[in-house]
Amino acid sequence: MPRTTTLENPGCPPLRALTFDVLGLIKVIEAKGEEKAAAKVVERWGEPDSTRAVVAASILDREIDPLLGVARKNGLVDVLNPVNGDIQVSIPNVSQTDVYPEADAIIGLHLFRKQRLESLSRSITFLTCTIKGRTSMKSIEIPQSCTDTISDAAQTTWNTCGSGDILFSKVDENECYALFGGKGVEVNVWDIHTSTKIWTAKSPVKNNLGIFTPTWFTSGSFLSKDHRKFVSGTNSHQVRLYDVSAQRRPIMSFDFGETAIKAVTGDLDGYTIYAGNGSGDLASVDIRTGKLLGCFLGKCSGSIRSIVRHPELPVIASCGLDSYLRIWDIKSRQLLSAVFLKQHLSDVVFDSYFRNEVGGSTDLPHQLQGLNDISEGTEDEGIVPDKRKKASKVHKGSKKLKLRNEGKNSDLPPQPQDLNKIPEMIRAKRKKASKVHKGSEKHKLRKNRQEQ
Amino acid sequence: MGGKRKNSAGTTSGHSTQEGGQHVKKKEKIVETLLPSTIKNKEKRSAVHAKIKHQKGLEKRKRAKAREAAEQRALELGEEPPLKMIPRTIENTRELDETICKPDDEELFAGNDADEFSSILKQDCTPKILITTCRFNSTRGPAFISDLLTVIPNAHYFERGTYDLKKIVEYAKNKDFTSVIVVHTNRREPDALLIMALPDGPTAHFKLSKLLLRKDIKHHGNPTSHKPELVLNNFTTRLGHRIGRLIQSLFPQDPNFRGRRVVTCHNQRDFIFFRHHRYIFETKESKQAASSGKKIKDNKDEESSEQKVIARLQECGPRFTLKLISLQHGTFDSKGGEYEWVHKPEMDTSRRRFFM
Repeated sequence: MPRTTTLENPGCPPLRALTFDVLGLIKVIEAKGEEKAAAKVVERWGEPDSTRAVVAASILDREIDPLLGVARKNGLVDVLNPVNGDIQVSIPNVSQTDVYPEADAIIGLHLFRKQRLESLSRSITFLTCTIKGRTSMKSIEIPQSCTDTISDAAQTTWNTCGSGDILFSKVDENECYALFGGKGVEVNVWDIHTSTKIWTAKSPVKNNLGIFTPTWFTSGSFLSKDHRKFVSGTNSHQVRLYDVSAQRRPIMSFDFGETAIKAVTGDLDGYTIYAGNGSGDLASVDIRTGKLLGCFLGKCSGSIRSIVRHPELPVIASCGLDSYLRIWDIKSRQLLSAVFLKQHLSDVVFDSYFRNEVGGSTDLPHQLQGLNDISEGTEDEGIVPDKRKKASKVHKGSKKLKLRNEGKNSDLPPQPQDLNKIPEMIRAKRKKASKVHKGSEKHKLRKNRQEQ
Repeated sequence: MGGKRKNSAGTTSGHSTQEGGQHVKKKEKIVETLLPSTIKNKEKRSAVHAKIKHQKGLEKRKRAKAREAAEQRALELGEEPPLKMIPRTIENTRELDETICKPDDEELFAGNDADEFSSILKQDCTPKILITTCRFNSTRGPAFISDLLTVIPNAHYFERGTYDLKKIVEYAKNKDFTSVIVVHTNRREPDALLIMALPDGPTAHFKLSKLLLRKDIKHHGNPTSHKPELVLNNFTTRLGHRIGRLIQSLFPQDPNFRGRRVVTCHNQRDFIFFRHHRYIFETKESKQAASSGKKIKDNKDEESSEQKVIARLQECGPRFTLKLISLQHGTFDSKGGEYEWVHKPEMDTSRRRFFM
């Protein structure tokens, strides 16, 4: 018989995510947050071209003038506008002209929030790291149009490793330190400003059989708001917690799954981490105790390449070789939405300033004016920043205000929608539970009667 | 059971037919209210059950007869015959799958152009296959490999020795092989197949079952050395598409149609059935067909047309069934490998969900 009962779909809170795949396409996925509506692909940027496969991505997630950096397989770094996908500037890998770009592909990219140069024009600073360990930090002025040549590229380059392959690079919250690690490279922390290595890990001791597992780090991530603590995953399916201030060997390590840990991300609370491995298992772990909190089950069949935590909503997104973007609730560990995106995905980022454009369209002109005021105040003449078109319709300075507006429109109690949902779910569960309970009570009564 | 009923029929034949009819009606009433599974007495239960079964059979036959009669009548009157009922099968009630390839998908074709097999499938290079075994290999394993060597052109058997598979892959890469096939045997019976595309293609791990070698197939044919044609059936989803392309890259892309040799990989419910045939087109004249009428069924149709071309098949073997266990990204790497697809038990929550 075909399935007669339908699975209860908890629905997805309103969010916007961007995914990057091996054909160099960028896809925008939006969930409207309506009742039981799944996330959908709304836009696709770029033409399919395998040489432009995306290897790393980074987003400057801010209200005004957001930017999206995309590193491609052929050594190109594109800076886009994450709202409409316009390419702002495209930077060829100028640092090495003699080397094949494919042989020394970029593996890590980070756009800096802070502006390093106190210049009048819009500029962007970013850090790239290649497999061979060539790390460079560049500051580039964003030209007015794409045809302009890139005028000035202030650049500092250093080598993070002598031998081995770098497999991941991460920058901490305050953008002062960078973390590197890879095959044959112990995890090491660098001070970005002075470009010096400040700390290197020591490999764990041999086990009781005297067997030494070779160093092979496959993923790593700083824990939230603390540059001294970070987690990393190894090829021998181990997740390790390091503390720079304590010791050079891992403080904590545990095994997870049976394949290499391909993605690790810390939660905002600073102790929960999410780890994904090469066979598609995703789990959340309390790193203080090393206890597995639970696995995310949802028929995920391909290697997980990237896990991202949403900065505000209690959701994470994972993507990988099974070409699905999956959005999970972190509390119930339930799959909220899965979107099939046709290609192997390499990365996913959240655009947290996305607002649903359903409500608050009545006093639109006023709001637009408000936004214009803000932008005029911050930006210089001549350069018009890209306003968030979608945000502009409903945006009114702060997020809370807007949510209140929405609440009024839909005659709901003034609470954010996403938060509303969880109690609802719990309530539903409770209802069920109570039903069962009643049933059992009835049963008992019946039994009693029979006995009488 | 049958004997019992006969007996009972024999004893009750003396009674009037009316009584018997009433008896049946009573039973029916009982049946409507009471399920045989609720009867505790076994004899009674089996009797009731037999009765119900018999009734059901009768009804079914009646319905079939009515349907046939309606069809016949429609034919006689020259009307449209009533629509044939389509049976509900597992295949046509398959769970909705968004990964099924659509013919107008631009990204699919761009992806095909960029994938690991495109150089072979565009005939930029000819496939060259290395076949090897697991460490311990005997009896049916070598026999299966010798069969495979005749099926796949430009395939070379290398003894495994004690080499690591990774070393073999390295060697094959240097020698410009395009694929490696590893036949795994367990208790002298081939039970798994590893197909690997080189230099950086995916690695597919199949379970192999129902193996029938050429010499075990009755009236088997002996294949020629022509390049075979390849038939791939039902590889619909993205995963299936990829597996199909992997299999396609084992064979040369320019078949010799003169050889009339065909290799079929038919996918049904995630099982891939491998068959190898020779075929021939024969023209049968009506006279011949009339004389040897009992052999060929469709001689009635041939009376209308004087000559008819029919295709005849002869199986050459081997014959086996494959089931995908995992598809790994990159070449064989059991420890640090990334999987594109792994079969997990949590996927088996529905009989109507298929992945290929």
